[in-house]
Amino acid sequence: MKSRPALRDTLIAVVALAVILVIPAFHRSPAFEDYIIRLSAMALFATSLNLLVGSTGMVSFGHGMFYGLGAYSFALTMQLTDLSLPVAAILAVLLTVVAAFLVGAVCVRLGSDYFAFVTLAMQMLFFSVIISWQSLTGGDQGLRGGIPRREIFGFDLSSQLHLYQFSAIVAVLGLLALRHVSASPFGATLRMIRDNETRAAFLGVVLWRARLIAFVIAGGFAGLGGVLAALFVSGAYPELADWPNSGQAIFAVMLGGIESFLGPLVGAMILLALNDVVTRTTEYYGLVLGIVILAFALGLRRGVLDYLRRWWAQGRTGRAR
Amino acid sequence: MRTRGIGRRSILGGTAGLLAAPWVARAQAKTLRIGMQSIFSGPIALVGTSSRAGVQMEVERINSAGGLLGRQIEIVYRDSKGQPQEAARVARELVNSAGCELLLDAEASSGAFAVQEVVRDLGVACIHCNSETSSLTADPKIRVPTAFRVARQGVHDAIAGSAYLAEFANANKITKWATCSPDYAYGRDTTAQYLQFFKKFKSDIEVVTEAWPKLGQPDLTEVITKLIQAKPQALFTLLYAGDLSAFVNQGNVYALFSQMKVACPNFDYPVLTTIKNLPAGIQAATRYIETFPDTAANKAWGESYRKKYNEFPTNWSWENSLAVQFMEAAVKKANSTDGKAVAAALVGMKVNSPFGVDGTITMRDDHTTIGYAIGWGQTVPQPPYITSVKPADWGKILELETEWKKQQHYI
Repeated sequence: MKSRPALRDTLIAVVALAVILVIPAFHRSPAFEDYIIRLSAMALFATSLNLLVGSTGMVSFGHGMFYGLGAYSFALTMQLTDLSLPVAAILAVLLTVVAAFLVGAVCVRLGSDYFAFVTLAMQMLFFSVIISWQSLTGGDQGLRGGIPRREIFGFDLSSQLHLYQFSAIVAVLGLLALRHVSASPFGATLRMIRDNETRAAFLGVVLWRARLIAFVIAGGFAGLGGVLAALFVSGAYPELADWPNSGQAIFAVMLGGIESFLGPLVGAMILLALNDVVTRTTEYYGLVLGIVILAFALGLRRGVLDYLRRWWAQGRTGRAR
Repeated sequence: MRTRGIGRRSILGGTAGLLAAPWVARAQAKTLRIGMQSIFSGPIALVGTSSRAGVQMEVERINSAGGLLGRQIEIVYRDSKGQPQEAARVARELVNSAGCELLLDAEASSGAFAVQEVVRDLGVACIHCNSETSSLTADPKIRVPTAFRVARQGVHDAIAGSAYLAEFANANKITKWATCSPDYAYGRDTTAQYLQFFKKFKSDIEVVTEAWPKLGQPDLTEVITKLIQAKPQALFTLLYAGDLSAFVNQGNVYALFSQMKVACPNFDYPVLTTIKNLPAGIQAATRYIETFPDTAANKAWGESYRKKYNEFPTNWSWENSLAVQFMEAAVKKANSTDGKAVAAALVGMKVNSPFGVDGTITMRDDHTTIGYAIGWGQTVPQPPYITSVKPADWGKILELETEWKKQQHYI
């Protein structure tokens, strides 16, 4: 097992995907399907952020910018051109990659505090552009009129089931790709930079280059998440690129666990489920969310998955004794 | 380690519970469920709460008279927190898992556009009860077969207001104007729209200064001094809600209202009643007041609302009340809650309503209401707050609206 982690990861992904795809054959639940569609977008968003926060130790407060950029560029390409959906999606991700490269080139050499500030500033700048460039983006009203969802490979994305299947496939493939990045020697380099950047530099790692690559990869996958989000709401709204949305991703990472690859996925699951359940019963969603996050921060002191893994590891050493 | 076992289990159990909860099977019941979504939390929660109050009044009336199609109505409320992507999710949830057969969308405009796309996908009958942005129904690319608007429409108000203000300007020989509106799409677009129609009615007007305060800006000193220094003869402002109260209160300190005439279409009861010294003589449109239309039915509605909720109704209250009336009439006529059938019944429908300028309001074939009360008058510091209200000329509104639609290539 240990010698072939890539095979093991792929197997897990295939099984997970198969389970998700089979569920609607037995039981159709529109709410569950909506949940998975939104989770797909959020999971890519949060997991890509964790490549920066967890793996590299770069706390970016502006990650929502790339999520929003992915959503807007995809939705606009679909509205303004006749390109097919996958081409529009790839273009959107490429655009996000370029944007992440430009933003990263400015930010990655900064110390951690300034990195956080400047990424946030970049996001606010991007948000202001969306608000001001009304003729293109619709300003604070968002992009209206819906996204024409042209059929691809027999998938009709205006059908909920097809969008569900499409989102699940994209998300699982995306997560698998991110997993490979973090398990690769490059991922190990990133963790080394996180733990001791001086030593990494002495070993010949070009710090800014590794950080920039991580930043660009993370931006690209956030953009992919944004594409799914745009498909779900059939449009794009400035809120997708606003800083509270970046905060959501940071919450997801903190709730789920910073050290486990699937932590942000678990965090996103909790956050979305919490949102759905709490808004159904009370208007004080912010209060409940705050209490839950406090409980995690003060009580568990780490995310759910990190906690469980540590507990499991402790149990094993306990038994071995 | 042992002592922490309970904590672990409860955490695991809690997590599992949370994960299972979103798709608890829907309860099938004989009650007719109508979904209502709005902003019920945050600084503009008044949108949601006063809309809900308007809906509740009507639903109680219908239920006590035996319900709709013999079924009791149950309204399922959801808070979108004013976020468009939440608005889209909530709309899908209301229909897909809460079992709602009809939708009342009391979102602000950005949320309404998100809901519109969900309705396009789901084909459910939906009434937008708060969005005034004209393109929602006027633009055929955005219009949806089963979605309707029961609310004011921006372009109607702009025409009516401009016509009134042009007359007012002629009578008072006013040519130099200043504008002061919130710095976002609504403020900028609507100001431009008013000016466009205004120039049509009166070609010799001149805008001497423009001020664009930020939404929720607490200190308006720079705005007020800028306006006073420009020495306009009159000011047109689209500030609303808390920003409008703040502007009037702070403008009083600088005696702004004695130095120029002021016109604003956004005076609503919550603003009128919270301003400390409401200056007399501001040209104001009636979003909702009990004395216009000056009929027994309107007065009775306003009074019963106040008695029930111990607060004044808002513009949103009447729009939502009326939306329920339209929904009730359409479902009865279609004898079904099916999206297509209800939509077919709604097109061209006319209902009797205290909010109609002639006692009726019509749903036009482009899915928006016409004939609702639009009037302009002058403020007075005590109730009824706005007096000598002149009703707008709907004939002129419709004529110029058609022209505007052609300009926008909507028709």
